[in-house]
Amino acid sequence: MAGEARVMASAETAQVVLQANSDADGGLVFFIDGPLDTTTTGRAWRTALHALSQSNPRRVVVDAARLTYCDGAGAALLLELQRRQLESRGSYEIRSLNAAAQALLDLYGRSDRPGPEPASPGWSSVEQIGRATVTLWHDVVALIAFVGELCAALGRAARRPGLIRWKDVFLTAELAGVNALPIVALLGFLLGLIMAFQSAIPMREFGADIYVANLIGLSMLRELGPLLTAIILAGRSGSAFAAELGTMKVSEELDALVTMGLEPVDFLVVPRVIAAVVMTPLLAIWAGFLGLIGGAVVMRSLGFPFVTYVIQVESAVTVSDMAGGLSKAFVFGIVVAAIGCLRGLQTRSGASAVGESTTRAVVSGLVLITIVDGVFAVVFYYLGL
Amino acid sequence: MSGRRPIIRVTHMTAGYGDVVLLDDLTFDVYQGEVFVILGGSGCGKSTLLKHMIGLLRPMQGSILIQGRDIAIAEGAERLKILTGIGVMYQQGALFGSMSLLENVRLPLEEYTDMPDEAMDRVAMMKLQLVGLGSAANKLPDEISGGMRKRAAIARAMALDPPILFLDEPSAGLDPVTSAELDQLIVGLARTLRITFVVVTHELASIDTIADRVIMLDKRTKGIIAEGKPQELRDHSDNPWVRQFFNREAAV
Repeated sequence: MAGEARVMASAETAQVVLQANSDADGGLVFFIDGPLDTTTTGRAWRTALHALSQSNPRRVVVDAARLTYCDGAGAALLLELQRRQLESRGSYEIRSLNAAAQALLDLYGRSDRPGPEPASPGWSSVEQIGRATVTLWHDVVALIAFVGELCAALGRAARRPGLIRWKDVFLTAELAGVNALPIVALLGFLLGLIMAFQSAIPMREFGADIYVANLIGLSMLRELGPLLTAIILAGRSGSAFAAELGTMKVSEELDALVTMGLEPVDFLVVPRVIAAVVMTPLLAIWAGFLGLIGGAVVMRSLGFPFVTYVIQVESAVTVSDMAGGLSKAFVFGIVVAAIGCLRGLQTRSGASAVGESTTRAVVSGLVLITIVDGVFAVVFYYLGL
Repeated sequence: MSGRRPIIRVTHMTAGYGDVVLLDDLTFDVYQGEVFVILGGSGCGKSTLLKHMIGLLRPMQGSILIQGRDIAIAEGAERLKILTGIGVMYQQGALFGSMSLLENVRLPLEEYTDMPDEAMDRVAMMKLQLVGLGSAANKLPDEISGGMRKRAAIARAMALDPPILFLDEPSAGLDPVTSAELDQLIVGLARTLRITFVVVTHELASIDTIADRVIMLDKRTKGIIAEGKPQELRDHSDNPWVRQFFNREAAV
């Protein structure tokens, strides 16, 4: 029974040799030559424990006469050998250990130190489903409570507009609205262009390509303009609101507001919701306008004069289509801003919590946009719009 | 003080941000095995000095030798050698929130040693038990108190048994009892494990307990205005501001 570990610790001279030899009466003797530190202990640990598990000796002796240096990791190895011998009721002895290493063993080896409490057992799949359901229910309740809180705060703000933090409103309007103009323009234009181009090819087969103008006009102003704007708003500003409020929550700024007697909903959420509500319909008009231009480019390339396109769009789109689209954008604005703020306020502690809130803000924003859009479709159908 | 061998040598170091010089031409040594305390009023550059000594910032001029290697210019493998030879406890602990205390202490071992899993668990557990947190090993940093977080941070800083530990405001925000316990821990580790401590603090009570030697920084001179044992500075310093600081008097 013999094992040996030679470890080069670093480019310098640190090297340890651990040899395991069986002695005459069935005991196991470990000779240690060199330093046992964090860099050398790994290999020595494997060799020693391998030898120990192979022979299962009654008696283990560590000969430390040539142990030059021992740190916490080395002490852990010596104590681990001792622990294993205690468990298997064998004897354990360390010979000629120097004073410094002995002091270290005494320091780390005191047996009155408490060990770890057992980790909580994992959950079964049934329990997990139950917990997920309860979490979802709590989320819905929180959402409803927040809607109520927000309505109350907006009511207070409407009665006394002087209390609204207009500076914040304008700042948010700039960040969420004005700064979004280029990206909304780009996506709106491309959407109009691509839709016109894709639909022109089959419609041309029927000689109906003039009706591409109807398609672009109706879909951009009534449906896709507001939807596109809402999705961009959720990605750009809903996430930003969540991150901003979430960071404030983590750094206890929200608690500071509360102890100053200022409600976070009045102070932080109301300005953001007002800004989003004003900016979303404007951005939706902008997106629709750019979509129409995209369509115009395609129609022009198909040989229709610009005037024909404009007249065709004018005849297709009614004021109620326009109003329907704007009312959608109005509601999308409230929903995206409110859910962004809510997720921010719900942030738990820790560095990962803010990231989690941001993700949740965008995902919930998109889900709610879809739901609201569906509701609008049903309502418009019954109103005959 | 083990033959007075300097383990850290700061020579003619000038540091600051942009054009603003905060510390001008600093020179001092830290000797092996001592508890070295950096003192000073708010805004005098204590934390800036610490950040330079642990390599987070580079000085404008001068050198900072840590165990003979200059952290001010070291790159790559050389820099890594210095960094694995020091441990740092940040003011708020800076434990990783998504990991349990045991995993926090294990992390440096996983990155820098070839120990088997079980060995890393043993070593990490030993360090936690040493700072009295054995029973909280599986807890997350969120679930424990501020004092425990600081002790866990010390355990993590000690994971690789570095010969030098830097502590940033170890007793800030702790109650006197917890703070005294932490001081005892520091003194104990310095005496038994012969670790060199560099401590930034302004808690007078802990300075008396832990400090072997003190340097005091000053905002106006942008340098060291006093150096020595704390008792000597309190009783015999010829600088009125130093005496004021130690006797807790308001500046007139």
